[in-house]
Amino acid sequence: MTPTHFTISSAFLLGMMGLAFHRTHLLSALLCLEAMMLALFIALSLWSLQLDATGCSTAPMLMLAFSACEASAGLALLVATARTHGTGHMQALNLLQC
Amino acid sequence: MHPTTLMYTSSLLLMFAVLLYPLLVTFTSLPLNNDWASSHAKTAVKSAFLISLAPLSLFLSTGMEAVTSSWTWMVTTTLDITLSFKFDHYSIIFIPIALYVTWSILEFATWYMHSDPLMNRFFKYLLTFLVAMLILVSANNLFQLFIGWEGVGIMSFLLIGWWHGRADANTAALQAVLYNRVGDIGLILGMAWLATNVNSWDIQQMFILSKNLDMTLPLLGLILAATGKSAQFGLHPWLPAAMEGPTPVSALLHSSTMVVAGIFLLIRMSPLMENNQTALTLCLCLGALTTMFTATCALTQNDIKKIVAFSTSSQLGLMMVTIGLNQPQLAFLHICTHAFFKAMLFLCSGSVIHSLNDEQDIRKMGGLHHLAPFTSSCLTVGSLALTGTPFLAGFFSKDAIIEALNTSHVNAWALTLTLIATSFTAIYSLRVIFFVTMGTPRFLPLSPINENNPAVINPLKRLAWGSIFGGLLVMLNINLFKTPVLTMPAELKLAALAVSILGLLTALELATLTSKQFKVTPLRTPHHFSTSLGFIPAIIHRQIPQLTLLLGQKIASQMVDQTWLEKTGPKAIANATTPLASATSNMQQGLIKTYLTLFLMTLVLVTLISAT
Repeated sequence: MTPTHFTISSAFLLGMMGLAFHRTHLLSALLCLEAMMLALFIALSLWSLQLDATGCSTAPMLMLAFSACEASAGLALLVATARTHGTGHMQALNLLQC
Repeated sequence: MHPTTLMYTSSLLLMFAVLLYPLLVTFTSLPLNNDWASSHAKTAVKSAFLISLAPLSLFLSTGMEAVTSSWTWMVTTTLDITLSFKFDHYSIIFIPIALYVTWSILEFATWYMHSDPLMNRFFKYLLTFLVAMLILVSANNLFQLFIGWEGVGIMSFLLIGWWHGRADANTAALQAVLYNRVGDIGLILGMAWLATNVNSWDIQQMFILSKNLDMTLPLLGLILAATGKSAQFGLHPWLPAAMEGPTPVSALLHSSTMVVAGIFLLIRMSPLMENNQTALTLCLCLGALTTMFTATCALTQNDIKKIVAFSTSSQLGLMMVTIGLNQPQLAFLHICTHAFFKAMLFLCSGSVIHSLNDEQDIRKMGGLHHLAPFTSSCLTVGSLALTGTPFLAGFFSKDAIIEALNTSHVNAWALTLTLIATSFTAIYSLRVIFFVTMGTPRFLPLSPINENNPAVINPLKRLAWGSIFGGLLVMLNINLFKTPVLTMPAELKLAALAVSILGLLTALELATLTSKQFKVTPLRTPHHFSTSLGFIPAIIHRQIPQLTLLLGQKIASQMVDQTWLEKTGPKAIANATTPLASATSNMQQGLIKTYLTLFLMTLVLVTLISAT
């Protein structure tokens, strides 16, 4: 695996580790989600450079647009959670647990 | 046209005109005067009776019979139907007797129904019935007979359900129609077979062309028709139920006239049956079974009209036995004499019922011998005529039948049953007389016992004369077609009389037992069998509708609705998918962190492995 590939993969994985292991704040999970999106953005940007493929040059822009939507949706959910459950803590979201 | 034929035809035409005129008057919009029933209807029947005496006297003096065909109804390539009347021995003698009995009944009905607001309609129905009966009796082809047959059936329905506010009356009327319908299937079967094989519905043509054919199937159809209309065993429950109608209806339809229509059909068709041993044996055994069974049922009934109804049914069985002996003329004689005394028995019952303020239970009557002597005397005369007391009306026909039965080559079982039924006749007749006329009164003191009205007395008087002399008059004036066997051992000759006297003595003994107790617990099983009419109505009238309803439920509700539409159709998908979905969602417990951690571990492993 090339160093670039390894770097981007580990950046993505670090972000996912944060998403998976954060205990308390929903905001932390959302920030890690953003980090994952950032890593994917950089990966897409380097794609056309590394592989000499000019066809997918617009992909990073699309990725950014969708990540912006997703971030806003996540923030809206955070605000709604804070309103209904009173806190932004992850422990409040336990409806599906047995 | 020969003057005699002219006389016959014109008398019948005049009779129909006289009888139809009161009916046509009711179709105009003029209001009827108050005594229309007595001034128009009864007078019309009386005039028709007097008119019918003319062909009777002509027939008795010349012995001439006639067939008249007039208007052509329908001409097809294979079947012709014309309006055709037969004036033979049977119709010429029956019509005056029917009109005489009807006249008496109508006069009685002016008293019996006088408090009914729809009395005029009642008389209209009775007149319509009479016209239909005359059509049936004088018909020369089966189509015209069928018109009369259906006409009497429908009028029977309307008259039985006269008091239609009473649920029992509606049920009884429906029963009458249904059982008659089953018989009609037999008649239509016979008519269809005859139309296709013998090419005609005219009686004369049928007799000639059927000499070499095997007539078993149409005869079975005709016997089924007689079973339905004349209440033979199997299709008999409607006759006792028909007692829900007013007493004049019971007297006219269900004793003298309508119920003999089936027997009359077989008498008319008897030349077809002469050579068919199957049909004759069937008639014999069916008639014997009927007469025995209904006489058994009559022994323990407590309603006076039901007893007389079962008595009618028993006598109809006896007529059927006579046809089975290949003696149609004796059956016809019994029809004629039976009309007199049975109508009189019903009119006496009606007089007693009205006198005791509509009480029909014989256990609540008694002592009427002193309180209503004329009615009790007529009741006694009628019962004696019914049991075949020598030289009253019933004797001439009934004794002749029993003698013919004893001297023919006949089924021993049928013979035994008929003799036992004859003794039962004496038993239940004595029971009626004992409970109604003898002893002390068992009804309330203030009962409107009234014999002063001539509208009651005159009909009873006329029918009493008929019950006493009717048999003698008929026998003196007719010629018997078949030579009767006149010599037989003394035991056979006296069999009917001996059996009746035996029954009488038994009944006297049994009647006086009501105030003694020989056993601690009585033997009730035969009594239950008899009182519940052999359990036939209780079982059949419930079983068949229950099976039909069950079948309907199985098909409509269970098969279509539950199975096809719910279990295997649209709801099947929902029913199959819901368990899967709930199982799946039960498996996923919402442990997000655990799932994400596993995912992460996998990815880390993949990265490390591919990095090396």
